[in-house]
Amino acid sequence: MDKILINKHIIESNDFVNSADNLKGSGKYLLGIAAADERSLNSKFGIRYFFGGNNSIDEYSVKVDESFQSISRVCPAAKMYEREIYDLFGLTPDGHPDLRPLMLYPENWNSSLHPLRKDYNNSIPEMKRYGEYKFKKVLGEGIFEVLVGPVHAGIIEPGHFRFSLAGEPVLQLEIRHFWKHRGIEKVCEGKDFKEALDLVAKISGDNNVNITISYLEAVESILNLEVTERAKYIRVILAELERIWNYVRDVAWIFMDIGFALPAQSLFALQEELMRLNKSLTGHRFLFNVLTVGGVNFNLDSSKLKAIDNMINKVEKNIKECEAFIVNSSTVLDRLEFTGKINKKTADELSLCGISARASGLPRDSRIEYPYLIYDKFNLKPVLLESGDVFARTALRIKEIYVSKKIIGDLLFNLPKGDIAVAYENRPEAYKYAAGNSETPRGNAFFYVMADNDGTIFRLKYIDPSFRIWPSIQYGVLGNIIADFPLINKSLNLSYSGNDM
Amino acid sequence: MGFLSKLLFKNKTQSIVSGNSDSVLIKGDELKRSVDEVFGRSLFVRLVDSGSCNACENELAALSNPYYDLERFGIKFVASPKHADVIMVTGCITRNMLNPLLKTYENIPAPKFVITAGDCPETGGPFKDSYSVCGPVSKYLTVAMNIKGCPPEPEAIISGFLKFMDMLKTS
Repeated sequence: MDKILINKHIIESNDFVNSADNLKGSGKYLLGIAAADERSLNSKFGIRYFFGGNNSIDEYSVKVDESFQSISRVCPAAKMYEREIYDLFGLTPDGHPDLRPLMLYPENWNSSLHPLRKDYNNSIPEMKRYGEYKFKKVLGEGIFEVLVGPVHAGIIEPGHFRFSLAGEPVLQLEIRHFWKHRGIEKVCEGKDFKEALDLVAKISGDNNVNITISYLEAVESILNLEVTERAKYIRVILAELERIWNYVRDVAWIFMDIGFALPAQSLFALQEELMRLNKSLTGHRFLFNVLTVGGVNFNLDSSKLKAIDNMINKVEKNIKECEAFIVNSSTVLDRLEFTGKINKKTADELSLCGISARASGLPRDSRIEYPYLIYDKFNLKPVLLESGDVFARTALRIKEIYVSKKIIGDLLFNLPKGDIAVAYENRPEAYKYAAGNSETPRGNAFFYVMADNDGTIFRLKYIDPSFRIWPSIQYGVLGNIIADFPLINKSLNLSYSGNDM
Repeated sequence: MGFLSKLLFKNKTQSIVSGNSDSVLIKGDELKRSVDEVFGRSLFVRLVDSGSCNACENELAALSNPYYDLERFGIKFVASPKHADVIMVTGCITRNMLNPLLKTYENIPAPKFVITAGDCPETGGPFKDSYSVCGPVSKYLTVAMNIKGCPPEPEAIISGFLKFMDMLKTS
């Protein structure tokens, strides 16, 4: 079992808004929207809507000229994608409620330039102010604003948060992101599949293994390339190791942010050991450059397998102690429970994924919904909690560490023999495209890749789980005191670089 | 409760840390002596991420885990540029981050030094050809030192600080 199957539909009717509404009603949710400038093929722009749910993915494609119908009113999750398309392609989503620029800041970018259009001539506008970005205002007696970022007080990535408060409770939070917009999708165009690996790994460094797996699912599908069982096993082991170190770090930060340094530092030490394990296995603490088109770049021998086994057993033991401690400490529970609650309905409307969805009771885990590599072998069940608060997200990470430990444990001593990579000379068919997906520690990573007639990338669209989840914080903090914001933020622990791309 | 009591009453930092960390201690002691000498006991650093992949930030954060515990050597990452001696830059400098970076730099009182961490601020890394990247840092600020690596490992960052201190002592 591999390579996700996508049911393709072409939108003929001029009322996709209605269809999108019906889709949502039938248990489907938006996975992402990808636009492409296909004017050289059929003199139109292509927009593809990907809907997931009920264990299958449906693609709805439409060809448009300079504008298209906005579906944001029936499908709020579409809002950010449509703003993105407006920025990068200059296509107008008709009926969109909020068309402020997203990643191309009016403070330094001329809004008539759309870098993802194929006729964009690489001209870089002069660094000067071209316009104004307007923030939303909350008016009323005694209401004041607290502005945070983009440069934050700690060692974190840049983002701007604007709170409107009356006293301590938050009335509104408005986030402005994309400070780190590096234009990765554009840089990937014209590169061959192997060259792009370096960029894909640097979309979000701490999730690079899982994101790269998603990319490889797409390009290996375009190339009709079947990787060996051994390579699949090794990919899964690495993916789960990455999940474990991410979760250990995330739980450590929760303790740090409630001012409980002792368990936090103990878990940070554990994270360090996991990263040193990565280094001893592959030569890199973040596992950069270990995956390649057609397989993996390194092999596991018996001493490495033993080292992994020892480490995951140690992690399980430490995390069990940590879990028992959380459950038994009323002061810890007092900070975590009911804080930063994201309701199931909100989670569904915003089409969340990963921990954030599962903590609010939505059974969304790409490993189970759209299995890839060998994940269908494990008979996984989504780990679910209902309360949607910081506690749920913390507890879920702890529970999922056990799941990942079990997956790795099952594979370690059953590794099939064989090569770790296959040589290939397959060239992609011109303008063939495919999608790939994987479950990163933050949620679903979705790739849409199209080849051109030289065998290089014509269009690469990546949808990071953080891009889908960020807007939900704006709902999660409502009514909470501002001092709890860092805790709520850490409980989601989203990537800025993955979001900004 | 076994977990807490074990931590509280038995473990010292050294026993949370397993394996050999001698090289960190040797470098750290030397670093501390230099910081004492040149900066009167403390070197304060303000970090600006100008468009990284977040691996560099992870490694900088790892510097405060019990294996490295950078603050014991006199180096502290501070919240305000007004408190800082050094601005540490990671990332490739996106157009959107250029202004916040320069503003942060302006707000650091002189004398001030720019150190970069990772390959991106020095070369632009894999993003250098992008429409939204306007690095490297040296185009805008005088860089005292580059700490190389993708990302630089925590120990390499400590070595980098050590080299920086040597540079100051000899200049």
